[in-house]
Amino acid sequence: MTEGQIATPLSAIRMLAITAGALVVASLIVFGAILPAEFNQDPTGLGRLTGLGRLFAPRQVAFDVSASAVPIARDFPTPFRTDTIEFPMLPDGNPAGGDQLEYKVRMKKDATFIYEWSVANIPTETEFYFDFHGHTLDGNTEMTVATYKQATGTSQNGALTAPFDGIHGWFFQNQSLNKVVVRLKISGFYDLVEPGEPGNESHVIANVPAEQALGKK
Amino acid sequence: MRQSPSRYASRIHPLSFVAIVSAAVLTECNGAFAHGIGGQDAAFVAGTRGPDLVPFMYLGAKHMVTGYDHLLFIFGVIFFLYRLHDVILYVTLFSIGHSITLLTGVLLHIDVNAYLVDAVIGLSVAYKAFDNLGGFKSVFGVQPDTRAAVAIFGLIHGFGLATKLQALRLNSNGLVPNMIGFNIGVELGQFIALAGMLVVMLLWRRTASFERSSVEANALILMAGFVLMEYQLTAYYFGMKA
Repeated sequence: MTEGQIATPLSAIRMLAITAGALVVASLIVFGAILPAEFNQDPTGLGRLTGLGRLFAPRQVAFDVSASAVPIARDFPTPFRTDTIEFPMLPDGNPAGGDQLEYKVRMKKDATFIYEWSVANIPTETEFYFDFHGHTLDGNTEMTVATYKQATGTSQNGALTAPFDGIHGWFFQNQSLNKVVVRLKISGFYDLVEPGEPGNESHVIANVPAEQALGKK
Repeated sequence: MRQSPSRYASRIHPLSFVAIVSAAVLTECNGAFAHGIGGQDAAFVAGTRGPDLVPFMYLGAKHMVTGYDHLLFIFGVIFFLYRLHDVILYVTLFSIGHSITLLTGVLLHIDVNAYLVDAVIGLSVAYKAFDNLGGFKSVFGVQPDTRAAVAIFGLIHGFGLATKLQALRLNSNGLVPNMIGFNIGVELGQFIALAGMLVVMLLWRRTASFERSSVEANALILMAGFVLMEYQLTAYYFGMKA
């Protein structure tokens, strides 16, 4: 049966023209916009030209932190180190930014550090947010993400054993109306991330007083 | 020239339809889930043990009303159906088709690649728009049975639903009731979406420009079908797992 069609069918020529036109427009959308934005592929160059390619971000794959098990005693190829990182954070909603910052260090799988951090001058504990997490760096279309702790609070101390090669550390967010200073101490088996590289995009310089810690961007 | 607002509002311009479709396609095209079930819903399904009918019905309905590929196909199917009993007949054929493959696909663990199924679903959208304009008769000289086509594409859409549900690692405890709940939800969601479409179509058909704008609209559905198909094929090519 053939109900459900247009009353006067289109001619073959018009039909072919419409189909060809639809294919051309569809291909333009897919190859010019969707490929650069979703798959990091830019066959037409339109992705770079329009900035659509900047939309691409690797797919995040959650890592099951609780499933990780490592030997209690183990050797590390990297030397032991200790760093103190201090940096200021501006009040919440500062138009120039500076009320949030991410600081991570580079770690090999199963490497461990111990840490403590605290922030003073926060009126109530819930006005300071942190996200302790790590992710892989090499992923092109996807990256593995492990979330260790997301909470509000003004201090934390503990240890981390990296579940995979990558960068591991904190995202801090000052939700108070005060200018504050975060003081973080890390000891163990890791490398600092150079200012400007992924994990330290706020250009934090380690082992200097807080007022000198934020380098030029 | 200033256009009177009332005249402007009374005519549903095909371009507004395009805007809706492209907005839906662009916002939903995230690499993670090519119209799948994601985020907290996926976590919920993976964590479910035992029958949990109503949440699964909700997920089925949500999958349908946010599933632009299924919706575009249904829209194409009812576009030129003027009588209510024809609408009911075609939608029933579609529902029977997708229920068969949804249930058997999940029960028999039929593993079809989600991207390839979604590519065929995109093709079904293009097929229906081409068919709506009488393309098969005028270009190829034959008219495939439209009822058979909607039932066959129903089977394909059902495989799409089955792959999405299976990708969530459904627990075998309570599988059958949960799957049937999902299926009922799909039908409810389809009914809700269909009601909205029929209202739009009734208003649209009353306009003087319907004959001309119906050609434009089906050309756009054809284009959208090609976009969906090519998008799924490229996603398959670049090997991003659903």
